[in-house]
Amino acid sequence: MTEILQHQWPADGEVFTPYWAYTDDDIYRRELERIWYGAHWLYCGLAVEVPEVGSYRTLTLGERPVIMARYGEDDAEISVVENSCAHRGTKLCWDRTGKVEGLTCPYHQWNYQLTGELVGVPFRRGIRGEGGMPKDFKPGDHNLNRLKVEVVNGVVWASFSPDLPSFRDYVGEKLFGYYERIFNGRKLRVIGYNRQRINGNWKLMLENNKDPYHAALLHVFFATFGLFRPDQASQLEMDETGRHACLMSIYKPDAVNDVAGSLAGLDDTLKLADPRIIQALKELSGDETVSATTIFPSIILLQQVNSMQARQIVPKGPGAFDFMWTHFGFEDDDVEMQERRVRQANLFGPSGFVSADDAEVVRMAQEGFVEQASLGKAMMLMGGRDVASSTTMATETALRGMYRYYRTVMGL
Amino acid sequence: MGELHEFYTLYAETLDDIRLEAWIDYFVEDCVFQIIAKENYEQGFALCFMQADSKGMIKDRVQGIVRTQIFGPRTYRRFFSGLRIVAVESAEIVVRQNVMLVQTLMDQTSQILLCGVAHDRLIRQDGRLLFKRRIVVADSELIENSLIYPL
Repeated sequence: MTEILQHQWPADGEVFTPYWAYTDDDIYRRELERIWYGAHWLYCGLAVEVPEVGSYRTLTLGERPVIMARYGEDDAEISVVENSCAHRGTKLCWDRTGKVEGLTCPYHQWNYQLTGELVGVPFRRGIRGEGGMPKDFKPGDHNLNRLKVEVVNGVVWASFSPDLPSFRDYVGEKLFGYYERIFNGRKLRVIGYNRQRINGNWKLMLENNKDPYHAALLHVFFATFGLFRPDQASQLEMDETGRHACLMSIYKPDAVNDVAGSLAGLDDTLKLADPRIIQALKELSGDETVSATTIFPSIILLQQVNSMQARQIVPKGPGAFDFMWTHFGFEDDDVEMQERRVRQANLFGPSGFVSADDAEVVRMAQEGFVEQASLGKAMMLMGGRDVASSTTMATETALRGMYRYYRTVMGL
Repeated sequence: MGELHEFYTLYAETLDDIRLEAWIDYFVEDCVFQIIAKENYEQGFALCFMQADSKGMIKDRVQGIVRTQIFGPRTYRRFFSGLRIVAVESAEIVVRQNVMLVQTLMDQTSQILLCGVAHDRLIRQDGRLLFKRRIVVADSELIENSLIYPL
């Protein structure tokens, strides 16, 4: 499909994103086609969310509703099909979760296997010799659209495209190592779901988690209580394409802090009346106390203290996205650890001491993106112009990496 | 009943007027406070939007809102209805009521940010009614941007 795009990426394009990338409907449509429905792996959920044969969950990938279902005992036997009847497109599965033997559309009772094969069409042969489907109607030509699926260490990934590398190759060895740090084979346990509609462009949330620069500046809670400070040891890694990244830091309670004094608004006399919210018990390999892994385009995998979440992005036009949080722990968590994770979840979500700041700043960024505004473009010059690993928080290299990839896949 | 109506009217007013230090005084030391999505509450998942299991965490919630969080200007107004005493269990009054929170962001129209049902347990301490437990189960599983102040 050729189009003449009215927009031209700004000169000096490796360090700028034009505001229209965040606001334009045509750009958004192209993103759906080339990114969300293209050769990219999208987060669907955790294998433990469909615990028994017949268990299913409905969710949205990109803008398309899908059904994730377990059809066999092994975790590899999880399928993802489009939640749209092959007959006339009606959504056939209306609940968020449940357990069924097959999928039946409520409208005309067309019946499918969990893996999407059409097996039943009422009155296919007519009623008393009248009506029915044409003789050459082949049910096998009318299955539900089935996505390509990989279940990797208990996490379900799906793609609308059949032509893409394995998930491991998609992410690259370096980032896969960070993925395995959290999804290390231990059986997972869902702690619960939080959902948020954020009024900004979906790419802003990936940026936010690729941006160590803002973390100690916007999030006064972090800086005040030492969870994330600009002088902490940090590491930022990307895959070869620059689209994925992992941002890590190490919180040392007793470290000398010679940089935080320059942070506006910092009051280090503030104390927590109940400090359990920031008290972490070491449970993962390595010394990192926070790691934010962005796997383009759909997910941020976040670990901070003892809270772990999969934050799924569901775009709703250029100006909004739904942000679906799945908090998880491990099946063998004792009661104390379960309670700790729930307590520390106060940092996150739409009421999060940290995360609410992000939702607000993303909303305000979108409100500032008027195409004809004096600047018309967003700058990412911190740390220079390159796309490379970094050990400082004073860098926007991972944003440059993501947009370098973005421009390639979008033809911009 | 009259006393309970007055209690909840003053509680809503305290929050509507953003007198957050006074909000802390509504809770006992070993309190439980939750604003939790209906899907979590009904399926037995413990994750909340806002959660406290001590009065200290209630104080920290206030401190977070007032001293560390960054958010655009807004007004919240709370509407409680259908107040009913479900049971009186020794010292505890078990109460249920519907709750609704209307948000007005600066330069935006008013909207329902959260709608749900509260399941509370009140006790009397030094002649004053206090929350031992307040669990707000939100029908509103999808929150518009941010939920800053409590209910």
